[in-house]
Amino acid sequence: MKFSFSLIKRIAPGSYGKEELVERLNLHSFEAVDLGGDVLEIAVTPNRFADAASHIGIAREAAAIFNLPFSDPAEKAPKYAYRDQGVFRVNIKNSKLCRRYMAAYVDGVSVKKTPEWMKGVLESCGLRSINAVVDIMNYVMLEVGQPLHAFDAEKVSGGLTVRNAKKGEKIETIDNQKFTLDSDVLVIADADKPLAIAGIKGGKSSEVTLGTKHLLVEAAHFDSTHIYATSRRLGLQTDASARFAHALSPALVERGMNRALQLLQEIVGAKAHRPADDYPRPQSKEILPFSATAMQRLLGEHVTADGAARLLKKLGFAIRGKKIEVPLVRTDVSDVEDIAEEVARMKGYAALTAQPPHVALGVASEDELIEFKDQIRDFLTGVGYSETYNYSLVAESDCSRSPAIIRSRDGKVIHLANPMSAEIAVLRDSLAAGLVKNLKSNKRFFDAVRVFEIGHVFQELQGKVSEKTVLGMAIAAPEGFFEVKGIVDMLLKRLGVTDYTLAPFDNADGYLKPLGALTIEIGRKSVGYIGSLASLEGGLMELDLGMLLAETDEEREYAPIAKYPAIERDLSFLVDQSVRVGEILALMQGAGVHLVEDVDLVDWYQDEKLGDHMKSLTFRIVFRADDRTLTDAEVDKEMAAITKAVVDKFDVELR
Amino acid sequence: MQKQDIAHLAQEAKKSIQSAKTAAELEALRVRFIGRKDGEVTKLMKQLPALSVEDRRTVGPALNALKNEVEQLLTARVKDLADEADRRQAIDVTMPGKKVATGHLHPLTLVEREIRDVFKAMNFSVVEGPEVESEHYNFDALNIPANHPARDMWDTFWLATSDKRQATSKKNNMSHVADRLLLRTHTSPVQIRYMEQHQPPFQIVVPGRVFRYEATDASHEINFYQVEGLMVGKDVTLANFKFVIGEFFKRLFKKDVSIRLRPSYFPFVEPGLDVDVECVKCGGKGCNICKDSGWLEVMGAGMVHPHVFEAAGYGPHEYQGFAFGLGLERIAMIKYNIPDIRLFYSGDLRFIKQF
Repeated sequence: MKFSFSLIKRIAPGSYGKEELVERLNLHSFEAVDLGGDVLEIAVTPNRFADAASHIGIAREAAAIFNLPFSDPAEKAPKYAYRDQGVFRVNIKNSKLCRRYMAAYVDGVSVKKTPEWMKGVLESCGLRSINAVVDIMNYVMLEVGQPLHAFDAEKVSGGLTVRNAKKGEKIETIDNQKFTLDSDVLVIADADKPLAIAGIKGGKSSEVTLGTKHLLVEAAHFDSTHIYATSRRLGLQTDASARFAHALSPALVERGMNRALQLLQEIVGAKAHRPADDYPRPQSKEILPFSATAMQRLLGEHVTADGAARLLKKLGFAIRGKKIEVPLVRTDVSDVEDIAEEVARMKGYAALTAQPPHVALGVASEDELIEFKDQIRDFLTGVGYSETYNYSLVAESDCSRSPAIIRSRDGKVIHLANPMSAEIAVLRDSLAAGLVKNLKSNKRFFDAVRVFEIGHVFQELQGKVSEKTVLGMAIAAPEGFFEVKGIVDMLLKRLGVTDYTLAPFDNADGYLKPLGALTIEIGRKSVGYIGSLASLEGGLMELDLGMLLAETDEEREYAPIAKYPAIERDLSFLVDQSVRVGEILALMQGAGVHLVEDVDLVDWYQDEKLGDHMKSLTFRIVFRADDRTLTDAEVDKEMAAITKAVVDKFDVELR
Repeated sequence: MQKQDIAHLAQEAKKSIQSAKTAAELEALRVRFIGRKDGEVTKLMKQLPALSVEDRRTVGPALNALKNEVEQLLTARVKDLADEADRRQAIDVTMPGKKVATGHLHPLTLVEREIRDVFKAMNFSVVEGPEVESEHYNFDALNIPANHPARDMWDTFWLATSDKRQATSKKNNMSHVADRLLLRTHTSPVQIRYMEQHQPPFQIVVPGRVFRYEATDASHEINFYQVEGLMVGKDVTLANFKFVIGEFFKRLFKKDVSIRLRPSYFPFVEPGLDVDVECVKCGGKGCNICKDSGWLEVMGAGMVHPHVFEAAGYGPHEYQGFAFGLGLERIAMIKYNIPDIRLFYSGDLRFIKQF
């Protein structure tokens, strides 16, 4: 919000400069910036519009900060030319949305030129000069903080009524916009028609022009939430609506009216009637307990009642013994915390001495999932994977493409109600889209790309939002699938998952090759998948970390280091290529022999010499006993059993 | 057999061994001189029995000595040759070290960890919360009512979903329908979630991803990270906040940086504060990073508003405490001198591998 430095200084005269004011406002009141010339930008906070979105308000802060006198130009009542209120009535039909409505009938107006000093203030605050009457209305808004409106009284028939619009009623505003209203809109109307959209914009029909002689000057208080909602609904946001949308004080109404009538007399020679004032439930004074101890308890430093009272008085608070009376315009102050804030900021937070807290020693802990994610990150960076952060918002075409393992096939993509663009219109249901993009964009710069991400994915399931923490990992490199598979094995063991199975599944979704995927299963639950990428040479994996965490067992137990040597034997054979290595491995491990420590595939190949459908496999079988050195004879027996099992089950040709 | 012959043979052996260039030559020399069958020394030894007792007494030891000498010479020469070969094939230790591929953590992970570690060292626990939130937790319970301009401080992505959560307000002990879902605009909802489940005293920090409906530019993103802090007890004061946060920034920036508190406004705190740290680049003298002010605004904070305690189910004025929130990207940008927030979400490994 823009302010005129010279006007602030006129209200709170002193020897301070602009730079000094800006600096002190920053430390005691609001963020302020010098925009050059007479103009200051001051970020009046939303809770302080009633008292501080005005030059009087900022001048009051300045006077308190610099300990200066302060003369309030809106305090004086104007001289009335007439004792009565003139021939019109004011009627509030909806006192919930309009707490106070004041209107003054003014005659003898001659709309002249606006004085230069006033034009200067309007200009500093970014307002255009229109005519003397309109300029006075705007000026008072800037000075006092109360939006005002002037109707050409001759264009008003009968009195002024504050009422809800009738459905279908039409109004054209001063800026030539036409609106058809519904009954949710509050209007100011005369006997025939709406004259203004209350608190938002005046109507064309009763606009003040250069020929205007009689005015109806309005000052009112409207319900802030009504104005906020209505101005947004109509797409009509004005200086007045922006102010009314905040909790202003009904006390401002009278101050604004006083000041407007003064200036109308001075500048356009107006003769004012006494204003009509419909104010059914006057704002009650807020009286709060005044306790230095309570303030001290919150702030943590010594506060004396006298010191606090001195600071508060400068801001318009009145102290009466153990009570404090809050100025009516301080609608933000309703509790002891608010009073403490006034004292603390006026003293300045620099004066507050830092104090270490007294706390009982508890055990600081981290959510299990946080530690789990840290462990995974450290492991994956250790094996060469770099971490990316991708957007949670994606295009709809990026969804419903990952294997239906973590993502449920029955789930729905969650759309934004107010998307910014089609590229970021829905919540991601998988990390795959982001990771595959990472692979592609980095391939230009690196021979092999290895990335992972830990993030949340979303779906709507049976009418509920499901949010999961997922690890995704992707590689662009030859044999990438097998690297990912190997890393998953190491990772799961590292995390304490001892018992898991990988099961092939026929993946019909977007990112992976047909027959190129495995589910990762723990105790019949699918916690993730590993796949071979279709669009480039590489692998992809996702793991549901929430499910995985539930299955991990961090307890490790030492297994004695083997004392006796192992004996290795290789077994090579040809087998039809449709036979999967996983099945053979499972068979060998389960062939009913007890001395097998490990079975591994050490070589495989396929070529024309082997014939069309055959592949050559070489397995290395490691035998060991923990209580003796094995003899060749023992191992021969075991080997024979394994070989027999393989030969019986598959059509193999031993080599 | 003369002593001269032995001496001559010794000389011959010595000469040929010294001039041998390969292991094969040396093996041939070994066979020639001390080979079991036809070695020249061996042959002489075999003739010993034919000599007189007297001659045997002198020639025998001489031949033995010769045999030992030849063996030693051969061993020494073999070693020399091997050394020479090693030297010829020595590695060039001035060549660059091999680049072993390692992965890199995202800079935001690094900064988040540092922040967590500093707070853990001050006995704060670390918790997280959901990214999809209800209007109740994100706004209403935090004293940010609907149709209030304060809400404009948080431009919000709303969800188009039929999931209507029933939020229970403990304050009025009634269930009311603050049911619209949104992407949380700050980590502050976790304050309420945590307080609903825990009784003070406690102190927590909450890192997490948040969302704003904002046009992106060098300093704005549609999603970014915050770290929320909350400390509540019977007598936690604003002076305590000043201490905790001062220590935090000293440890985070690893220098004795000053902090400055300024009045500000957030509906869920009272008093409300903005926290500035002395510019870590120029030390407060003024530079392009701090726009010549000498200060960097890094945090919003304040004493928890009584309405927030009530919304979480605590009695009025039963407890007091402070809350704060900082932007992770902002801290990372200051710490690492990163000019554009969008780099964090670019997925560009040329960026990530610098950390």
